[in-house]
Amino acid sequence: MIFPAEDFHSDSPKPSPLFTAAASSSEANIWTSVNGWSVARAYTSLEKEYQAAKTNAVIADLGPLVRYALRGDAAAELLARLTTAPAANLGTGESARGLILDNAGNVVDLAEVSRLSDDLFLLTTPTPHARRLQLASRGFDVDVEDITGDVAALGVFGPDASEVLNAAGLKSHEETIASSAVVRGVEAAARPIQFGAIPGIEIIFPKDEALTIWERLIRRGQVGPIGLDAMEVLRLESGVPRSGVDFVSAARSRSGEARLPIEIGLPHLAPLDRGWFNGRRGLRQQADRSSRRLMSLYIDDDRALTGAEVRIGDKPAGRITSCAWSPATKRVVAFADILPPSSGKQSDISVLTTAGLPVRAKLAQTVENALALSFMSAQNAATESRG
Amino acid sequence: MVDQKEQDQNAGRIEGGIDAIVLGACADGLAAAAYLGGAGFRTILLEAGSEIGGEIRQRELAPGISCVDGDHLVTVLDPETIADLDLYRHGISYAARRMDTAYFFEDGQSLEVEGDLLNAAASIDEEIGGGVEFQTFTRDAMDMAAQLRSAFGVSVRKKSRQRVLGKAVDASPDIARRLNQYLLSAGDVILDDYLPDGTLKTAMLSEVAFRSGAAPHEPFSFMNLIRRWAGEVSGLQAATAYPKNGTVSVIDALRRAVQAAKVEIRAASPVSKILTERDEVAGVQLANGGQIRAPIVVAAMDARRVFLDMIGPDDIDIEFQRAISAQPLNISTAQLHLVLKGFARDDKTKEHMRRRIVYAPNSENLRRAFATARAGDIPTDLMIEAIFPNAMENDEGNDDRQLLSLMAHPLPFDLTADATRREAITAAILECVEKFAPNIEERIEISDLRLPIDLAENTGAHPAAFAARSGVLQQWALSDCAARAGQIEGLYFCGPEAQIGAGISCAAGRLAAKLAIHEAKRGAQAA
Repeated sequence: MIFPAEDFHSDSPKPSPLFTAAASSSEANIWTSVNGWSVARAYTSLEKEYQAAKTNAVIADLGPLVRYALRGDAAAELLARLTTAPAANLGTGESARGLILDNAGNVVDLAEVSRLSDDLFLLTTPTPHARRLQLASRGFDVDVEDITGDVAALGVFGPDASEVLNAAGLKSHEETIASSAVVRGVEAAARPIQFGAIPGIEIIFPKDEALTIWERLIRRGQVGPIGLDAMEVLRLESGVPRSGVDFVSAARSRSGEARLPIEIGLPHLAPLDRGWFNGRRGLRQQADRSSRRLMSLYIDDDRALTGAEVRIGDKPAGRITSCAWSPATKRVVAFADILPPSSGKQSDISVLTTAGLPVRAKLAQTVENALALSFMSAQNAATESRG
Repeated sequence: MVDQKEQDQNAGRIEGGIDAIVLGACADGLAAAAYLGGAGFRTILLEAGSEIGGEIRQRELAPGISCVDGDHLVTVLDPETIADLDLYRHGISYAARRMDTAYFFEDGQSLEVEGDLLNAAASIDEEIGGGVEFQTFTRDAMDMAAQLRSAFGVSVRKKSRQRVLGKAVDASPDIARRLNQYLLSAGDVILDDYLPDGTLKTAMLSEVAFRSGAAPHEPFSFMNLIRRWAGEVSGLQAATAYPKNGTVSVIDALRRAVQAAKVEIRAASPVSKILTERDEVAGVQLANGGQIRAPIVVAAMDARRVFLDMIGPDDIDIEFQRAISAQPLNISTAQLHLVLKGFARDDKTKEHMRRRIVYAPNSENLRRAFATARAGDIPTDLMIEAIFPNAMENDEGNDDRQLLSLMAHPLPFDLTADATRREAITAAILECVEKFAPNIEERIEISDLRLPIDLAENTGAHPAAFAARSGVLQQWALSDCAARAGQIEGLYFCGPEAQIGAGISCAAGRLAAKLAIHEAKRGAQAA
């Protein structure tokens, strides 16, 4: 799950349940606010944290993400309505990604649904949706509880994530299934998650025990924490758009700003042949809307900044919405909201630098757009075989 | 008409070969069915109850005395529907086409206003003065009503309503200014500008408030009057008419039109579910377990029942569910039928009884009445509209009894009302009636109160369908939303939420059916 845009205007962000533990690990002491909670932008340095995530494992405070517990016989139906995730088809312990759409099919937010038992689900979203949940749950026998501040949530990412958890005594029996464990008397639930392309595990436990688990992971697992800035690089490399940065939620958008799933590069998260979900009819009716696309770009110059103009040929086609230097590819990796090149000539794409000079850019292959492409080809093949 | 016995035999059967199904045999449902049948669609009209007509139905109050529940006058009957379905040939005729109104006020004064409002100035001048101001007011308001007439029809595409408003704005700077004023201002503010005379203002204020959920001192309330004056009855703008045999005769004429269009009417056929398959309507499931498959379903029932009960919240968008269920429901209108002892035989009294009688509380009391009703209490001052149906029919009476039909507004919207509550409401209405008909209580032989919950019980609708609706602007938004029918292809909606303002109209039924016919033909061409 991806963090939403920071709320820079927040004067006094609340401490997350893991704040005390995180603050004690912070050497850089650079903080920001997400959903009104304090989040470390960096603990040591961006490079160190990035490399650790790529080669070893890192832990992250995921407390600022919003979590709802849904309990009731109709919880699966409600989630299947509210999100595009196939909640009804999930077995106990399974998780699925999806989107929250408005009735016109525009993206309101990303969502992740986990089935914890027959009638208990966990919904994780980047931003709060209490009002929407309340409206959606009318007519459903479901108890919805916002547990965001009541639980501590800690993410372990990286190739060695399993070893770290094993060392800490939190190893799950199956890596794709959520499980529960008791660690030093603390009841914790672990579920597999993805941070962009990097697989990881999220551990959720009572907020009063926040320090116990954090310390145990750091000491036994020999891992360090990762801040928001390093996570941003990993996100861009994976090609996952960020709410409030790369697209505006349809719930807050002005005219022309709302985006369909395909326009933010996530058509595979809202397949029209899935069961009913909110906005499916609107999405079907807008399927032919020819408009902008959020695309991942590699730019061969580190002077390209967010907001820079993207050109196709010599015509302005859009702007960079977010970018960062990617140590792995030795280039700037960026998201750009552009009108897609009709000719498909990647060599025609350029970005204006701060100096006003055009530099070459090309479409990037990310994990997320590989998923989108394979989904689209499957859809086209199905359409052709039907035709 | 197919009867109950035949329905039972059909239990569990799946029927096909049907082009269109219309749910609900209210005026709009009947109109929609007649249009669809007339266009050559094999149509079935399903009614849950044993009678057709929706809330409009005739009942026997006492041997020899019948009353009509629902509207007792027509004000906004859609002229296009009358012409298209040839309803005059099917039996609509009027006992009174342009009824004069006698206003009674708290201070004992009264005022007679001609049914032809544009020519009422002279008589008003004679009675209380201010005729010129009244003429200016009615001319301006009726001009605007005529301009906006098509904007009060159902707009499936928002742009068509915007086009009407845009056209009015472009017509002239004066119209643009007035449109802005009428759309946004409170009724009493606009009336203050036009009518310096307190009596005339009080009379018009009650017209602004009648059957509206918006109090006349609240913004956007003036459009309620414009909506009514935009309506036509037998080609007369802003008229109030009484059909021969009462409003039930409109239903009878529509039924004949439906039969002429070879539509099969099935009474006592409750529908439990509207079937959808891949975002398209597929037919309906009947309460007896049977199914009728059809590519078109026109729903002429309240939105809550159609979308929340028959389709279900797990198949409609959250925003749509919110829009149809989030209407403020706190004001309602009650109908009181009184059977009075004694029958006027002299011509002068009979002539007086052929008028529409309105008791109009003053501005302050009307404001208080809305506040009281919203708080759930029964106001002491109510606006009353009264007619004597027997007098309209020139019925001589056979047993020296007289029927008086009253509509009282504003009252609280109750989801339940016990005998005590009913007695209190009846007493409040009668107290107001006493002010213009002293000692009437001594003559009452039978008193019969009809609240929204009674109409709901008769028709099987949600009581919300009979609550007074808020300002016209909110109704526009709701009707736009409801008429889109949750974006389910093949489903068309013409229930009460699709209509702007109160009264029998049939415009929603006409527009839903015409859209269904248009889209079906376009689909057939594309195929």
